[in-house]
Amino acid sequence: MRRSARVEGVEPRPTAVGTAEKDDGVIENRPGLAEIAVTLRWAFMLGLMVVIFVADTITALEIAVAVFYVAVVLIADGFLRRRGVLVVAASCIVLTLASFFFTHAGAYEAGVINCALSLCAIAITTYLALTRSSVILAEHEARAQLVRLARVNTLGEMTASIAHEVNQPLTAVVTSANAGLRWLAAGPPNLGKARQALERIIGDANRASDIVAQVRNLSKRADPRADWQEAPVLVAGVVALSRGELDRNGVRVRVRPADGLPLVLADSVQVQQVLLNIVLNAIDAMAATPAERRELAIDLACEVPGFVRFSIRDHGTGVPPEAVAGIFDAFYTTKPQGMGIGLAVSRSIVEAHGGRIWVEPQPEGGAVFHFTLRARQTRG
Amino acid sequence: MPMNRDNMPKDSQQDQPVVFVVDDDRSVRDALEDLLASVGLGSMLFASSQEFLQAERPDAPACLVLDVRMPGLSGLDFQDELARQGLYIPIVFITAHGDIPMSVRAMKGGAIEFLTKPFRDQDLLDAIQQGIARDRIRRQEEAVRQDLRRRYASLNQGERAVMDLVIKGLLNKQIAGMLDVSEITVKVRRGRVMRKIGAQSLADLVRFAERIHEADRGWRD
Repeated sequence: MRRSARVEGVEPRPTAVGTAEKDDGVIENRPGLAEIAVTLRWAFMLGLMVVIFVADTITALEIAVAVFYVAVVLIADGFLRRRGVLVVAASCIVLTLASFFFTHAGAYEAGVINCALSLCAIAITTYLALTRSSVILAEHEARAQLVRLARVNTLGEMTASIAHEVNQPLTAVVTSANAGLRWLAAGPPNLGKARQALERIIGDANRASDIVAQVRNLSKRADPRADWQEAPVLVAGVVALSRGELDRNGVRVRVRPADGLPLVLADSVQVQQVLLNIVLNAIDAMAATPAERRELAIDLACEVPGFVRFSIRDHGTGVPPEAVAGIFDAFYTTKPQGMGIGLAVSRSIVEAHGGRIWVEPQPEGGAVFHFTLRARQTRG
Repeated sequence: MPMNRDNMPKDSQQDQPVVFVVDDDRSVRDALEDLLASVGLGSMLFASSQEFLQAERPDAPACLVLDVRMPGLSGLDFQDELARQGLYIPIVFITAHGDIPMSVRAMKGGAIEFLTKPFRDQDLLDAIQQGIARDRIRRQEEAVRQDLRRRYASLNQGERAVMDLVIKGLLNKQIAGMLDVSEITVKVRRGRVMRKIGAQSLADLVRFAERIHEADRGWRD
């Protein structure tokens, strides 16, 4: 029944707490681990500063131990924000000068030159490190925007379907409400029937709001958050969302999850974006397929330990062999209105999740898109 | 035609109208069934056009409430399919996203109304009543035509030949000449034709003949 499929497709809101994301976009999951890593880095960095300071102070002025402060600056750049890095660099400069004044052994002139060289090295390293991290940050930001743009673009293609999906329960609500009024207006009022109408209204209104929540979930600007997810639930959400588009094109969907699938590590919004993209492409590809062969099979399997494989098989126009390599490149498209970013973004999402995405042309026509996500080794 | 809920069961079974609802959305179907029940109209629900075609439908005045967008055959294609099969049920279209070409096609195909979801219940009920009334008239005309056709079929070849010439306005003498029989024979046959067809006058006979031929050409043209 379509109705029950919809209810199953309603995705529980991610309850992920304690997931954190590092600046370079790799998704960290274990709660508390990130905090421990930061503490360790602080300890290591401060220890190194003390060691360098002591060595610099007790050795003669000719030995420029202070240049090793560049290592401290580089470590700080790895996990601190811009201001933190500047504070660490300033501390290093202060310590260098302090060592210079406390050290009495050795030639004074050589000491001045060594001190100046060390200060220059620290300053230049700090400058380069900060420039590099702002570039990385900008790149990360741009990628996040592209992912969101692709998602909004995908949703834009589905506007008519989404409107239809929301309108159906609204129609039922309005019709039931009218029926309820008529039952109440009857003489004598039929309260039992009126109550039934009200109960139907509640059910249908909830259905409409579930659809709206799904759409908002996909379109909002959300920070990436990975969590352990049920793969079939992710698929059911996408199938529910694209139901209108599937029906309109007469495409049947079969979802076949293998038994005992482990949970997968996934940011549900992003992974659903990948699935949605592949499903919509498949629908487009099957536009010219005879109606009885318009079928989409979504298989979930765990063949390689530690990974769950999603395979989406269509009977569409397929992928020409020469395009297999380039299909995931940005701006590669076969659609007149396509931007060619859907699959490119899909690849970057899957790879950020530690998975792989690839396409396999089918000898009998059509294509299979596969992608993998990291899975929990044992269920539980 | 006035609908009286209390009298309905006492009416002949054949005259109790039925509304067919074809919509792929269960919520919409259930709500429509309840709305129709609240005004005393019986309904039959179908999830797809195939289901409708396969089901056994009662022989009663009917109206079809049809969703345009459905998996498989769309509502508009289904309208064409029904016309091909000679099923002339008045259709009220309901759709979530209607555009002008769609409604033009529906109305050209003989639809009663084209409503956009969510619709005003009164609009839908009015359209359905109009459809049922239209179907009732069609069924009555069809019954009369069937009767006339049966009567025409009871004429023998000679009587039919006489009748065809009589309605062309020929005199008995001319008919006798054309058919190469005596004038008396023409008179006798003519009398039998009038009796069998149930015509009181020549004008009656002409009118009935027209209706019979109309039926042969098909109801729609």
